Amino acid sequence: MYSIIVVPPPTTEDGHNGRHTDPQIRLAPGERLTFGRSETGNGLAIAHEGVSRKAGAITAQGAFWILSNFSAHQTYVVENPEGAGEHIKVGPGRLDAPVPFEFSRIVLPAAGDLLPIEVWAPRHDYLRSPEGLDGATTAPAFSVDRTKRYFAVLAALCEPRLRGEPHAPLPTVDQVVERLRPNWPAASRTSVQWNIDYLAVKLRLKPGPDTADTGPRLNGKKESLVSLALRFDLVREDDLLVLTEPSRAAR
Amino acid sequence: MTEGYAVSVPKGYRVGSWEVRDPIATGAFGSVYEARCTHAREGLPKSAALKFLPTGTGTPRQLTHLRELAEREVELHRRLTRPRLIRMYETLTVDDPDHPDLDGATVLVLERAEGSLAALLARSPRPPQGPALLAQTCEGLAQLHRAGWVHGDLKPANVLLMKDGSARLADFNMAAELEGTHAYTPAFSTPDYTPPELLWSEIGERGRQIRPSADIWAFGVLAHLVLTDTFPLPGGTPSARRDAAVRYARGTDELRLSPGLPDDWREIVRACLARTHQERITGETLLRRVETAAGATRSPRLPRLLGFGRRRRSSVMLGAAAATAAVAALGYGVSVLADGGSDDGKGSGPTKVAPASYGASELRTDKGVPVAYRRLIVDSAHDCVHPEVTPALIAALLKAESNFDPDLSDPTVGEGEYGIARWTPSILRWYIRADGVPAKETPKPPLTPAESIPAVGRYLCFMEPRLNPTGLSGDRRVLLAAAYRTSYKSVNDAAGVPPKYRDYADRVAHYLKEYTPPRKK
Repeated sequence: MYSIIVVPPPTTEDGHNGRHTDPQIRLAPGERLTFGRSETGNGLAIAHEGVSRKAGAITAQGAFWILSNFSAHQTYVVENPEGAGEHIKVGPGRLDAPVPFEFSRIVLPAAGDLLPIEVWAPRHDYLRSPEGLDGATTAPAFSVDRTKRYFAVLAALCEPRLRGEPHAPLPTVDQVVERLRPNWPAASRTSVQWNIDYLAVKLRLKPGPDTADTGPRLNGKKESLVSLALRFDLVREDDLLVLTEPSRAAR
Repeated sequence: MTEGYAVSVPKGYRVGSWEVRDPIATGAFGSVYEARCTHAREGLPKSAALKFLPTGTGTPRQLTHLRELAEREVELHRRLTRPRLIRMYETLTVDDPDHPDLDGATVLVLERAEGSLAALLARSPRPPQGPALLAQTCEGLAQLHRAGWVHGDLKPANVLLMKDGSARLADFNMAAELEGTHAYTPAFSTPDYTPPELLWSEIGERGRQIRPSADIWAFGVLAHLVLTDTFPLPGGTPSARRDAAVRYARGTDELRLSPGLPDDWREIVRACLARTHQERITGETLLRRVETAAGATRSPRLPRLLGFGRRRRSSVMLGAAAATAAVAALGYGVSVLADGGSDDGKGSGPTKVAPASYGASELRTDKGVPVAYRRLIVDSAHDCVHPEVTPALIAALLKAESNFDPDLSDPTVGEGEYGIARWTPSILRWYIRADGVPAKETPKPPLTPAESIPAVGRYLCFMEPRLNPTGLSGDRRVLLAAAYRTSYKSVNDAAGVPPKYRDYADRVAHYLKEYTPPRKK
């Protein structure tokens, strides 16, 4: 029943290859995660001399989250990585500042370094009917934002089958990168991969029995995403426009 | 007027032997129209309700999931006819290339109802016939569950009211046949009626797993709504109520039902809205309790439904129900006082937050042990010299006994078990006093947490040296809990947890582990 996922900053040992070794931390509404340099009293200890002993707290609030800045002098910036520079500033001592983004990166200034903590809010709701979220209407369990990159990735994965070939092989990650590049010049294997992983979280894909190894699993994950998306009409033929038209969202 | 209808069908439209009349209602997927039979055939009524599901290839958006939903509904109707489920007479497919938006649509010819429970509630909140309608709704659920199906989308709009005023279940788009303990349904749900375990649940390629207990939760919400005109979980918007459901399920919030709920129904709603699906009441037991409650509450408009035919209760049963109601009424008042007392009664000013972390080194603060009882639990354990009697053990025991329900009242077991620790009053008598002297009289329910919890500590402390020092298998703390449930003699005789109590002991062991802070494990 978690609604917020916190991805800790890469530690110094694994920082050079850009891989996170720390597990993601999942927060349910009302749960609070404090972070800072101190090993005790922090749910997330950040081993960096430039970070306050008690630097701040992230609290899940329903589908969104709030940030408290415990430091005395530093301002934290929360960026929307897909928002073309969109960001909010949380000044020193500010408590419980609401953060509206589905993806966020908290940038902690730390003695010349900038340490990113990523926070995902995969439960954001999006409009389905003109009336909005109605408690009495039967609604699909998924809510996707058609302006986000993950939706473009999903559309690209579904495209061959939506174009009328029900058993067409799925595009490879490289093919997806090529397909998305006109509208998303910075697309790369890593970023597409990241979006596929995020979609699995977002759509709450039940991990298959062979989750442990990552190599051949990828194909299974893509296959599951596509079959789920097509079964529940998350991507429809008219959605394929996102692959050709410039997006409505600021990119 | 069919504006906003999922499927718009013109008046006078012909399909099979039916002529479409006025629109009745629309759902998210299909729309229902009144229709009359143009040439009478055997087994067909003069008028019926036609449900159009846009499953054709020419529909503006090729919605693949609609076909699946239509198949589910047809499948259920073909396999299941029960008195409290709406009947299906036949299915048709529209063959009309001139109407591309209708061509290929699936049409279900269904028994015609007068209206829905949703419409009745909109017209007259807290309808006087509410209890009788709830009993019939519950009967429908029991018939469905008995046949091995789960409804998956129970809500007022899907409870239809017939001409004679009786209720039937309808709308089986989400219905699924059980495969063992669960079924797979499409990943659709109605937020206000979705049990917490299905909010944000994992979804596999076959859909999501659902159990009959999901219908039981929905019934609890529905009953609360029918009887009090409010939702059981607080919040002005569906997402606020959803978050409240999550907080409640995680144990950070208590369930606070409307004070307007009659006492016998309070227990029923509470049993339906148990935090986890394992703890929820099941269909048959629920039906018995709902029928008793509905029978006890005189329904002016449906007098002939009160006897419930073959299920007629003896006056003894009604008497018992009345007694339960009285107990619940008292228990409610007391628990309110107890809650308030522990919040602000101990300490002052800055220690106001202390109850939440009281004894945090021995009892985890994030696993749903209600804050109101932490101090009682921790202090009661400390009063015992035996190291086996820990706060986590007492908390695990209370969780397993009553799920921390201070209002628990179960007069049907033996001489009756009451309160948060399910004390049998005649046994509690020996442990209720802090000085170790039995009380002069057997305590009478309701039993408050402030009486129950310290007595648990004393009783466990009394039994610890009486359990055989060697030769017993299992964690000694769990053995103590088993002895609390049975007696230390039967644990000694069985040289461990007696087989009958293994489930109970397993649950205690589970929560014991959960409530123990990491370094104390």
